[in-house]
Amino acid sequence: MDFALSNEQRDWQMTARKFADEDIRPISLARDAIPTAPETFDWEIVKKGSKLGFRTLAVPKEFGGHGTDFVTQALVMTELARADSAISKTFSQNWKWSHLISHACTEEQKARFLKPFVEDDTFLLGKGISEPSAGSDNRLPPADDPKAGLKLRAERQGNEWILNGEKCFIANAPVGKLFFIDARTDPAAPLKQGTTMFLVPRDTPGFRIGKVFNKSGWRFYQNGEMIFENARVPHANVVGEVNGGARKAGGGGDDTTGGDIFGDLELCANALGICDDASQTALRYARTTKQGGRYLFEQQIVQLQINKMHMLTEALRSFVLRVAWEHDMKVRSPNAGLAMNYSTDVVQEVTELYMDVRGSDGCAMDHHADKLVRDSIIWSHLAGDTVQRMKVARRLPS
Amino acid sequence: MYSLHLSAEQLEIRDTVREFVTHEVRPVMLKADRLDACDRTLPLALLDKISQLGLRTLTLAEEDGGAGADQLTACIVTEELAAGDADIAATLAETSRLAKIVFGRGMTKPQRDRLLPLFAGNERCQLAFARHEADADDRLGANYHRPLAPGNDIKTTAVRSGNEWIVNGVKDCVANAPLAGLFAAAVKVPGRHGTSIIAVPADAPGVSIRAHDHAWRHGTCGEVSFKDCRVPADNLLSEEAAGLLDSDQTSGHGSALMQAVALGVGRAAYEAALDYAKLRVQGGRPIAEHQAIGTKLAEIAVKLEVVRGAVWQAAWAADHPDAYADRSLADLPLQTIAQVFTAQAMLEAAKDSAEIFGAMGVMRDMPMQKYVHDARVCLHSGDSSREAKLRIAEALTGYRRTAPAAVAAE
Repeated sequence: MDFALSNEQRDWQMTARKFADEDIRPISLARDAIPTAPETFDWEIVKKGSKLGFRTLAVPKEFGGHGTDFVTQALVMTELARADSAISKTFSQNWKWSHLISHACTEEQKARFLKPFVEDDTFLLGKGISEPSAGSDNRLPPADDPKAGLKLRAERQGNEWILNGEKCFIANAPVGKLFFIDARTDPAAPLKQGTTMFLVPRDTPGFRIGKVFNKSGWRFYQNGEMIFENARVPHANVVGEVNGGARKAGGGGDDTTGGDIFGDLELCANALGICDDASQTALRYARTTKQGGRYLFEQQIVQLQINKMHMLTEALRSFVLRVAWEHDMKVRSPNAGLAMNYSTDVVQEVTELYMDVRGSDGCAMDHHADKLVRDSIIWSHLAGDTVQRMKVARRLPS
Repeated sequence: MYSLHLSAEQLEIRDTVREFVTHEVRPVMLKADRLDACDRTLPLALLDKISQLGLRTLTLAEEDGGAGADQLTACIVTEELAAGDADIAATLAETSRLAKIVFGRGMTKPQRDRLLPLFAGNERCQLAFARHEADADDRLGANYHRPLAPGNDIKTTAVRSGNEWIVNGVKDCVANAPLAGLFAAAVKVPGRHGTSIIAVPADAPGVSIRAHDHAWRHGTCGEVSFKDCRVPADNLLSEEAAGLLDSDQTSGHGSALMQAVALGVGRAAYEAALDYAKLRVQGGRPIAEHQAIGTKLAEIAVKLEVVRGAVWQAAWAADHPDAYADRSLADLPLQTIAQVFTAQAMLEAAKDSAEIFGAMGVMRDMPMQKYVHDARVCLHSGDSSREAKLRIAEALTGYRRTAPAAVAAE
């Protein structure tokens, strides 16, 4: 057992902490308070973070990225999320799909897409899976209903595919330049045998972004609708094989695409940042705020609440770093999924405790506490929390 | 006799309010500008209609022109209104709570003859209790099982001058302040022990009101300043009223109307989730038919029923104080007990209901995030659960707090 970080890991952690403290935290609450969704976004922070390496952290070095390991990625996501969870997610969403490009795309595709991604500070990535009538069905396709799941249709015409349909609740849709799109290429086959993944650039003819969703939490992190009206995508943009669907993309193993392995780690590492922020702020607040002539921290209840916040946060940290280490060691286990589910429970409990420690001051609630609670609720609304838990249970070794 | 039968009048008023909420409140509440928790304006036109229905004067005695509703009936009405809109329900709940005390036991006949028309005769007049002062901290917290620290006395004063009281001071976070036509102001009268209550019309000279925007409260609230404000000498309410008003939300035996607001919010979330779970098909069937969602709905329904039981019991107990004396009810602060359980359970119910909607559960132009926000405001505004549990614990051990003034004199 060795819990020590390498110098490189420590360096990235410190760079992220500095960027988070000096650049992200000062804009976090102001961005959260902007009422309309698109205006919450700030390209300046994206460009600044990109120049420091936080957009391309997960791209292999041979393609001009930073080729960091999973432990480093977890540390950086946590540090950025400590200042603003939604801004951290805006950066790490690119790591998720750059992992997928490196794992699932051909050399020709990598040269065509990874190179411009690395070079452009405003190049963001996304992936479209969910549709209005297909959310959980894409995650846990029902055995007795083979037609269930996404409906976006792709039909071959010569060297092109014609895409028709829509996606909704797609992260980075309003700001991304390149998207992975899951489309039905064999409507008669069940989801896994009838789906193909396409690389769809923003300027594809017939493809546009619809509504930008206005969320109660994670407000900076953009989310929108995608509309395909005879969108023309070259055959060269097919990822993996036609009708190869999600299976092919990960390069082995059911349900363990590069995206998924990283995605679980991403969510629990990000939640850890919120927990760090909440528990440290609560402690500082309780030690510096007086009530009835005495510091809040002198009250037993407050000590118990703060103990619980730190206890849960440290347990989550152990779990997050173990999962990151397992990924680096190429240990296959359902732990990433379990850690993600655990982080949902922990981040919501810790932020509710934080709000309780602060309490309402007269008739106002602290904006920071309110934001952390709203951000943490998002974990229950991502990709179907209950579905994710059942999926992880099914991954457990018999 | 133990009975959960509602009277014909109670059933009728519940049905009337439910229908009104379905046809008049929900369509307004479901508009985007009411759903956005960050930017809400209270729909005053709705308050006018509610006033015309007689709900503003719900708890006023029948001979005073009201409906003479008891606490239980007021809770039933409040739950129904809150299932439509928490802000509207909270506004009327505060007026109902205060009207019962102020015009019930608080006034002599001559006072009532003079002051009642200000309230009963003005459709737009809500009531407000101006008690809290910004620099006062009377939370139990550090003073659990100890006398309150001195220095938290009310600083607003009422000084007699001829046939008038001259009131000076500033009150903060006063619920209903921007809509109030009449304030019950908590003041210190030099030479008098404890808190006194003076009725101050909002248009009395020297009264100014500043609304708090984006307050973490249901309904409206604001700051109320009294600057050499003169009111007739006869506006001083009885000592009994002063005691009831001052302890209504801390004695454990007062009005449970704010708990009925939380219950209504939880119920609205649940009804939306149940409807959606029966319609939304994933996994080859309506999601209500999946164990995971079915169990969630069941847990929400359990919480709603247990909460309604606790709220109704607290309300009934407030209506029947003799039930403590004849040992029908345990000698417990039933309203505070209902408060602690309700606030937590309804936040959980709203969160679980929202989760059933997936991504739509967090969208600001859709209702579920509003229910979650509204339930959270119930949990964290006013008197926190942390504070309320300390008060329950003090009641369990029979602790009686001596006033700071008495401590200082010892």
